[in-house]
Amino acid sequence: MTDIQQEIKKAVLEGEDAAAFTLCREALKEGIETMTICKAIMSGVQEAGELWKQNVYFMSDMIMSAEAFRRAMEAVETYLSMGETGACRPVGRRVVIGTVAGDMHTLGKLIVKVMLQANRFEVIDLGEDLPCATFIDKVKDLNPDILGIGCYMTTTMLEIKEIIKSLQEGGLRDGVKVMIGGVPTTQGFADEAGADAWGKDALDAVEKAKQLIRSS
Amino acid sequence: MSTGRNQKGAETPEESSRRNTASERPWIPVTAQMPDHVMALAGIPAKTFYWDARTFVDAMAKVTAYYDMDGLMPAADVYNFEIEAMGGKMVYSDNAMPTIDHRVPIIKEPEDLLKLHTPDFYRDGRLSYALDCIKLSAEFGGWQCGIFCAPFSMAAGLRSYPLLIKDMRKRPQFTHDLFNFIIDDVLIPFLRVQKDYCGVSIAVSADAWSAIPNLSVRELREWVEPYNRRLIAKAKKLGVTALCVSGQYVEERPEKFDVGLLHAGFDLQVADQSSTPSISVHMGPWDDFPLECIRAYTEKYREQGIETAVRVGINPKLLRDGPADKIASTVKRVINTFARDHEIGVFLSNVPSDTPPKHVHTAVAAAHTYGRLPIADNLDKVEFKPFKRESFQEWKAKVARDDPGRTKGDPA
Repeated sequence: MTDIQQEIKKAVLEGEDAAAFTLCREALKEGIETMTICKAIMSGVQEAGELWKQNVYFMSDMIMSAEAFRRAMEAVETYLSMGETGACRPVGRRVVIGTVAGDMHTLGKLIVKVMLQANRFEVIDLGEDLPCATFIDKVKDLNPDILGIGCYMTTTMLEIKEIIKSLQEGGLRDGVKVMIGGVPTTQGFADEAGADAWGKDALDAVEKAKQLIRSS
Repeated sequence: MSTGRNQKGAETPEESSRRNTASERPWIPVTAQMPDHVMALAGIPAKTFYWDARTFVDAMAKVTAYYDMDGLMPAADVYNFEIEAMGGKMVYSDNAMPTIDHRVPIIKEPEDLLKLHTPDFYRDGRLSYALDCIKLSAEFGGWQCGIFCAPFSMAAGLRSYPLLIKDMRKRPQFTHDLFNFIIDDVLIPFLRVQKDYCGVSIAVSADAWSAIPNLSVRELREWVEPYNRRLIAKAKKLGVTALCVSGQYVEERPEKFDVGLLHAGFDLQVADQSSTPSISVHMGPWDDFPLECIRAYTEKYREQGIETAVRVGINPKLLRDGPADKIASTVKRVINTFARDHEIGVFLSNVPSDTPPKHVHTAVAAAHTYGRLPIADNLDKVEFKPFKRESFQEWKAKVARDDPGRTKGDPA
């Protein structure tokens, strides 16, 4: 890695969001290829994930690293929208993700989104508090490979069953893999709801997403 | 061995309360945090259950009696009342507890802190409901216990967790100001009102945002411990014992489980206490983790002849998903590990709304069977018969027949 790549990686790893943004913009101005910058950004957040596995990083570190990743990618995306071709844009690994109705929690979803992006998935975040119909409409419109559904309360998690049922009724279920996650969910609930996979946490979600893509 | 229930199997809430308050329990007590479950089981809309104190406490008492639990926990909520009363954006739904909308924190910029003021505890938000729940609990034989949101979780609710973490790193002075506001202008006045209006002398909090690994041990020591201590000291001057259960270790992955982190969290809990050391493990999959590492922590007290209180939570995921025999074996394991030389209670943590009643009955029956005092030397020789009871609605009808005035016009 070049010095600036190292600096970008370090800024993302250490959760320095402003520095990560500025460094990426500087690197782009210097003519460094977008793909090279993206690799440095992804490398930073991937290392954060490794440190999480080793109990060196905690959720506070992960969330700061995720924010820095988001800001760094924003810098690159802004540049891409100005004309450069999308070297960072993944193909054939589209995930549409959202949180069920009545549920506003965003933290876990943000980390899942970032870790998926860091692993070359295209992630379309629908947001939170989404009615069942939104999930169905977006599956129709965006044709994702994977639909990720999150919930964080035992009362709202029951919505997941409704969404999967509606996918079946709408004839959409066979065309999309469904992965669920969130604090109250379990493998047992995923099975009961008819999901294809359960992500125990963000890193597990990435592994499961890769498996789903391989098996499709 | 008996499960301790009477022949009718239909102890009224009042009978249950009398038995519990009379300390006649011949077994290890079981309590539960279960408002959403009670709401679902009793079929009460959220907009009644979480607004009408009498409906709430009455339903909680009935379901507590239905399950033959050993104490009514009247806390409807321990995270949202104060922030709602300060004007925090909330999500109100038909079937869930009102909750803070973390996407729109009340303190969007540090200067917003200056706009906040002490709530009117009798008028703002649903604080009067919260106070009435505490007060009414005594009528139903429940624990007359105050509630509050612990400082760190309140800070996360006011500011959002990501912004709070950033503040801790980039704006330490603002963060100190925020914690001081929470203690001096919100929590101490709230505890004073709970003492004056409800007569509480003890108040409990929850602090899930401070759980490890949400925070590192270093962050806990820097941002949680000093403010918990400050709160406890100020509450003591009011005549209220404030209990903060911060720094609980919640690890889902067995390969990441670290005894050092678990014990560091216990150190924080014990540091906040002035009397009997008490440790809580309410959260986390303890059905799959070794309980001996909790025992290892209390060894230093046992060596000095000091009895430690241990409250082990039965995981909500296990309670919901079962199977029943794993629930029973987990309760048995908890009792076998601690009951002979610790003060223990079995705590059913945050019982999910759609938990099958059979699973809750199994947990209670297991605690009452394996936990019958004195604890048997060999619990493997204790016969456990899974407890069967009619549905809640059938049970309620039976109670109504025995005491027709009891459920008249009653939404639960």
